[in-house]
Parts: sequence; C-alpha cells; structure tokens
Amino acid sequence: MARYAMVTDLTRCVGCQACTAACNAEWNVPAGHARTRVLPTGATGTFPNLRAAFYVAQCNHCDEPPCVKPCPSGATFQADNGIVQVDPALCIGCGFCVDACPYESRYLNPETKKVDKCDFCNGRLEKGQQPACVTTCTAHAKYFGDLEDTAGPIYQLVYGKSARRIESADVAVGPNVYYLGRRNEPALIAEVFPPRQPRMPAAAEFWSRLVKPLALTMVGATFLGQAIAFFHQLQTGEKHSDD
Amino acid sequence: MPTDLSRRDWLKTIPATAATAAAAPATPGRRGGKPALQIATNCEMCFWRCGALAKIQDGQVTRIEGNPSHPLTQGRLCARGNAGHQTLYDPDRLKTPQIRSGARGEGRFRDVSWTEALDFLAARMTELKQKYGPESVAYFPHGVGSGFFGTLMKAFGSPNSAEPAFAQCRGPRDVGYALTFGRGVGSPEPLDLEDAKCIVLIGSHLGENVFTSQITQFADGMARGSKLIVVDPRFSTAAAKADHWLPIRPGTDIALLLAWMHVIINENLEDKAYLAEYASGLTELRAHLRDFTPEWASKETELPAGQIRETARLMAAAKPAVVVHPGRHVSWYGDDTQRARAMAILTALLGAWGRKGGILLPTPIARGSFKLPPFPHSARGRADGAGELYPLASEELGVTNGLVDATLTGKPYPLKGWIVYGQNVLESIPQREKTMAAIDKLDLLVVVDILPVEQTRYADLLLPESTYLERYDAPHIVETARRPFIAVRQPAVEPQHDSRPGWWIAKQMATRLGLEAWFPWQTPDDHLAKLIEPMGITLSELKARGAMAFPGRPYIEDRLPADGPLFPTESGKIELFSQNLKDLGHAPIPTYTPPSDPPAGWFRLLYGRAPVHSFARTENNALLNGLMSENALWLNAKAAHDLSIRDGDRVTLENSDGHASLPILVRTTSGIRHDCAYMAHGFGQQAPGLHRANNRGASDTSLISRVAVDPIMGGTGMRVNFIRIKPEVVS
Repeated sequence: MARYAMVTDLTRCVGCQACTAACNAEWNVPAGHARTRVLPTGATGTFPNLRAAFYVAQCNHCDEPPCVKPCPSGATFQADNGIVQVDPALCIGCGFCVDACPYESRYLNPETKKVDKCDFCNGRLEKGQQPACVTTCTAHAKYFGDLEDTAGPIYQLVYGKSARRIESADVAVGPNVYYLGRRNEPALIAEVFPPRQPRMPAAAEFWSRLVKPLALTMVGATFLGQAIAFFHQLQTGEKHSDD
Repeated sequence: MPTDLSRRDWLKTIPATAATAAAAPATPGRRGGKPALQIATNCEMCFWRCGALAKIQDGQVTRIEGNPSHPLTQGRLCARGNAGHQTLYDPDRLKTPQIRSGARGEGRFRDVSWTEALDFLAARMTELKQKYGPESVAYFPHGVGSGFFGTLMKAFGSPNSAEPAFAQCRGPRDVGYALTFGRGVGSPEPLDLEDAKCIVLIGSHLGENVFTSQITQFADGMARGSKLIVVDPRFSTAAAKADHWLPIRPGTDIALLLAWMHVIINENLEDKAYLAEYASGLTELRAHLRDFTPEWASKETELPAGQIRETARLMAAAKPAVVVHPGRHVSWYGDDTQRARAMAILTALLGAWGRKGGILLPTPIARGSFKLPPFPHSARGRADGAGELYPLASEELGVTNGLVDATLTGKPYPLKGWIVYGQNVLESIPQREKTMAAIDKLDLLVVVDILPVEQTRYADLLLPESTYLERYDAPHIVETARRPFIAVRQPAVEPQHDSRPGWWIAKQMATRLGLEAWFPWQTPDDHLAKLIEPMGITLSELKARGAMAFPGRPYIEDRLPADGPLFPTESGKIELFSQNLKDLGHAPIPTYTPPSDPPAGWFRLLYGRAPVHSFARTENNALLNGLMSENALWLNAKAAHDLSIRDGDRVTLENSDGHASLPILVRTTSGIRHDCAYMAHGFGQQAPGLHRANNRGASDTSLISRVAVDPIMGGTGMRVNFIRIKPEVVS
C-alpha cells in the first residue's frame, strides 16, 4: 500500500500562491478559507542581515493524526494510503478536529457547515493526476508521490536530500509533508510557525470516549428515519409550502 | 443583415470549437455526468499570456489549468491564471452597452442595443473628424485584444494611440537597449535564466512580480547553482534568496552600475574578445568610468565599497552567463533610459547578449498578411510627442501622458475624443488630477471594458467587452523565447450577458465608418489562417494544441543570414558610446544625477506588484480578492517606532502636494530601508460598481502627483513622490 507524501522546496518557492488559488478553484473553497496556505515569515534578523521564507501550510496527513480521535461522528478517518479524509456525509460540523490539528490546516466551511481540508487531491489521484497545487506551481517547488516507492522522486527527495518535517519537542505526530531548503528555510519556518499542541477540549474527550458509539447509532437512526420519510413521501407526494 | 451578433450566431461557432476540443485529450468531469470539454487558449489575467486549458461543463468554465503543450509556460499557471473564470462570472461585469444619460461623472446611463451604441459612436467619431480632423480622436489601448481597434483608428486617420506599457512601464528599457544593441528587450523578456551562472536583479521583484515561466526559469537557474545579486531598498522575496542583497539608497542605481563597470574595466575583467568583435566606444567608456570608484559610489548608494567590488567580480567570474535583468516596470526617476543604457552596457562588458546563460536573441517567425491599403497619412503628425519632441519614443506604443497634455492644452492641436480599451487611465497614468481635467475637456469618452472601473463613470459610451474566455483575439506570436512560438486565443464559452469581443466591435465600426478595406477577413479564423500561411502548421492542429513552437536560434553562433544583422544599430556594433544620443543633446554614456532625499518624517513612495493581482484589473475577482483584498504599507520598524506607529495600525497617507490616500494597514518590518515606504499597486479603487474592490486599501497612483519626465523618451518617472503618515485629525 502506498504512503503518500508531499515535499515542498522552499528555496524554489516564491510565495506566489498559485497553489492556494489552484486548490481553491479545484475544490470550490470559499473566499477567506484555504486548504493550503502560503504564510510569509516576514524578515527576521538585523538589517541588512535578514532572512525570510514562505511556509506552505497544508494537512500533513500525519502518521498519528490528532484530528481523528476527537471526531465524534467518525467523519475524519485515515485511509490505508495515509490520506486523512473527512467524509462530509458524516461530518456534523462540531469543529473539534479543527482545534485538534497542530498545523491549523482544517476549516469549517461556512457554506456546507462541514469541515474541509487538503486530501492530497484524492479525487485527482484516482484519475491518475497529480494534486492541483503540484501541477500549477510556478516555481516547480512541490513534489508529490509515494514515500514507499524507493525509485520514486519523493523517496529520493525525502531520504536523499534530507527533507525535514515541521515538528517540535512537544508535537511529533509523524507528518507526511516535508520541506527542503538549501538556505535552511525549513528550520526558519519551524521556528516561526511551530506546530501547536493539539487542543483536545474536554468535551471532545467526552464525545470520543463515551458518546461516539451513541452518535454513530444516532447517525444510523437518522438514516433510517430518512428512509422511512422517503418511502412515506413516495406514497403521499410532496407537500408544498407557501413561502 | 443584422448588425448585431446574436446569441444564435455565437452558438453556431461553439460546435466548431467543441470539435477542436474533442481532438484535445478530454478529461472526465469531476462532478460526474458528461465528459468535460477543454479548450486550449492563452491567459489574459496579465500579459505573459500563459497557455491555459479551460474546462467546460454544462456550458460553464468550471476550472482553468495550465496547458502542458505550451512551449514557454509548460502547464503552469499563477494564482491569477487559476482564477480567470471568476472574472468571467463576476456579477459586477458590464453587461450591456450604455449611453450616458446624466451629467458626466454622475454615473447615470441608459442601456442601449449594440446597434444604437455603435451608430452613436460612428456618428460622434464622424462629427469629430469633420470638425477637428481624425487626429482629434485618441486611442488608449492595453492588452492583446486591442490590436483590431488599433487598425481601426489608424484607418480612421488618427496616429494618436498610446498605452501605459511604454511611458509608464518598460519604454525606457526598450529605448535604452535599442540604443545599445539595436533592439529592445521585448516581452516575454528573453532571459536565459536557467543557464545563468549569475543573476542580477535591480529592483526586479521576481516572485512578487509573477510571470510563470520566468519564475520557473529563475528557480531552475538558482537550483543549478547560479549566484544571485539583488539590488532593492526592500528585502523582497528575491532578496531573501540572494547571495548578496544590496539595500541601495533609492534613486542611486546608476552610481552602482557605473562603479560595477569601473571595477570590471579597471581589473581587466571584461569580455575582451566579444567587445573587440562586436562593440564600439570602449575607449570613451573607459575614460568615462575612471573616477566612478566603488568608494565614490558607496557614498551615493550607502552600500559598502567592498560589497560593490565583490559583486562586480562575482558577475565577471560568471561571464558570459550573466543575466542582468533589464527589468519591466522601469519608469522610476526620469533618468530611466540612461539607467537602462548602463545595464545594457554592463551586459555588453560581460559579453552576455546573445550568449548561453545571458540574453537570448529573437528568432523571426514569418507571418502572412492581407494586402491592406496604406493607412492615411496625417500631415499634423502625432500629438503626444513620440517621434518628434521625443524622437526615440515608440510611435507604435506612444506616450500616454503626452496625449493627456495635448488634450489639456490643445497643443499641438486639440484632442476631443478618447477611446479607452482595456486600460484604466485613472490608475495607469500618474497625476490623476491632470487626467481628470483632460477628461473634462473631451467631447467624447468611450470606454471598452469588462468591469465598471472608476473611469467608466465619466464615459459617454460604455461598451462591455467579452473576457478572454469568451473571445477570439489575434494570436500571441513570440519571437523572444528560446523556442519561438505562436499561441491562440479562442473562446471557451459564448459571450456572457450582452458583451461582445473586441474584434467584432472593431469590424462593426469599420463597416459603419466605411473602413472595411482594412478588415478584409470575415471571421477570426480567416484572419488566423492567413497569418499562419507561411508557418508550415495547420489551423486545426494549432487550435487543438493551443500553441506551436518553431526551432530557435537564440545564441550568436546559431544565427542565419535571414535573421538579419546581429546588432541592428546604425554602426552595426554594440554602441557603448551612443553618437545617436549625443546628436540629440543627451549624454552619450550614462551619467549619474543624485536624487533628493525625503525630509525627516517623510518617506519616498515605492510601489510594486503583488503576485495574486495584475495592475488594477483583478482586485474584484472573487478568488483573488479572497487571497488579497487590500494592500499594506511596508514601513521600516525603527522609523515606525519613532513615529509611534505600530504594526497593524490603519493610517492615511499624504504626499508633498497634500493629496491623501484611503486608509491603509501598516506592516512594520526590518525588511525595508528607513527612507522609503512600499505598497502593492492596484488598490484603493473608488468604483462603487466593483463590490469587492471598492475602497479597499490605498492607491499609489493617488499619491503620485509629481513625475520626472524622461527627456529621452517622454516616460514618467514615478518614484519621486514623498509621503508621510497623515497626522490624526482631532475633532
């Protein structure tokens, strides 16, 4: 089974946000939100000895994704190929996973009321295409592929070129998004944008341990209820309201 | 015969396009259902014109991706290119022709049919021609669609056409390089960035200024180990990648360039064989440079002499594989042609023009043409000074500010009508008070545009154009790439609303004005077929692939006699010393004039591009507005602290003439010198019809009330304005 990973070369990246725009267009992300973001560190240091880089942030599809556990409905799950996904049919929009993500890479879509995030363009992968951010990147700074394909470019970049992940002493959950940089940019972005401690609200723990089974039952019940209503409507016809 | 192109007619053109598209690899629509069509075209979100594939589902463009078959941009699109369909479906678009019904500027219009609109325009143009001569109607074009209207205006008898691409942008560069090498740089810039061993950017903010292939090649060159020298008062995106960042005192670039050349000549580092074979004027140049030592330049530029010396040696060590980027928007200080000359001469000393890793030579592409009658000759000549007051200015591109001045003064003769196509004269031309006063004097202002930008309020006639995704345009023929190519612009969907393509409007006007002889083709396909006749390609293949390339001869050793002289200057050599300039009363070798510094508490206003926007054209695009809805002011952190300004404050700015800006967010940073402030151009628009862009951020143009006119080509240097944070008014 594949283990998908992304590598971004921050020496090549010019922060043009083509990736964000392509992603927003591909997935109809509402204005003001993004599945992948480009965050400038701004100038650090003392004039004129300055440094700066762009942090291309997205879901890291972590080996131990902190977002899965707090999801009360089971909408957030990790597929065998490592891609962490949200099943919108199950998502109840509670946002616990948004709080839990150390990379702040999930958002609650105000239009659908569901949580959305990068899924490595799973829908494109199924058609044999690369993720939208990779194919459009003006600087050719993004690479995507299977980390377990030892002849593939991702394996070579990660292990041959010592790509690094954005982790800290406190937060090390096995991210699968890697960064390269000849000028030590990955260290700079890790310093300016460290992963945050997953926020697990007490309520989330509660949901997760006690209520999830119940919630799943309710989801099942809701489905059953809808089925009954559907057949009922088939028999009685649609009722029209006057508004 | 109906004069309007009906929906039905347009629908008839779609099956032909769809058949072409079917030849291209179709991808199944991701929303299921019928397979999506894709149409290959080129992008117009800026003017790099990257290859694009518009994906169509249920008659709508649902997505735009890069066209991998495009020889230059190879499947990449920037943020703007990815967002093009949001301009197509912008609810704020101009939807139908309108004729002014209230006072000018009041913003009251009535909707009219195309027949009424074009009859109105024909009658008004004819009236102006009879009263004041055809030259009294001036044309302000911009963009690839403007060419057909340009033909119309020339046929009408007006030589007065000017676009900001010259006097407000790259004119000084192209004049300066043409004086030196015999040809301008052109666009896309023919830079061999991927093979360069040293890249020098002087104010060129690659990364913030995004042209996809230039970014790709820049990143490739760097990955292959090229050194990078960035000269910029601001710690730009490129500066953060540089081996040497030179935070120069604004306006002193020529001092740096003279000192660099001094070091190269003084240390015998120039490309002697190249210069001996191709250049003239080395003796005069050597004498001219004698006193311009790095120590002298250090005082002017506030850069360490050691760094000036070291960077000069770095360039010389990489010669001839050095790209001294000629820049693009270079109308800064009024001595811009001379600065471009200095950059060209430096390039020559390094032997980089026509060499691998340097500047590529253009490869001509033969094109077919209809036999047109000669355009009528105007005995009165141009009104903007191009070719006369400014003998070296481009008569093809013109001097916009020259047309504004002529309109205001009535000299050399009155201009009474303006036809504005695809440019926003209030944002693109500085000194907007002058532009407004000129508009006041007009009998006729026609605006052909897509969106209700600020100037539309003052129009007598508004013609809603179709976006690039709904129209044919003349193809993009590029000779300045490593592999020269032709790329097509063809519609992905039929025109939305009651909009029409520029070619159709121009052709309709030609019929009304009796100028059909200059439009001897029936459809854009006829026009294209004629154009490609000598190219050895077929129309159907071109339209299916979107672009086709030809073998290039970019280096000196590749050239064929048919490519013409290597250096088409008067002498046939690279002119380090310009007799041409001397004869016109200008310095034959660039000289340096020190800039004046802003008073305490004031900052020199610098401006530039944001990667997700083009000029003042894209700020209302839903996707791009979502990425950047307003600009911010970069202010040196220490200078801000001294003024008690904090990061995140919202301030208004005031220039030396008392002009104020809209409120703008302050970003304090150590990444800019203390004596200047910077903002992205294109914001602060005051156009209520643009629901997303209206009143967001500040307009640099509104603060550019002074310009330094380049005496060689008439361009407007615009980095000569000082601003301060406007003190709070206590009420």
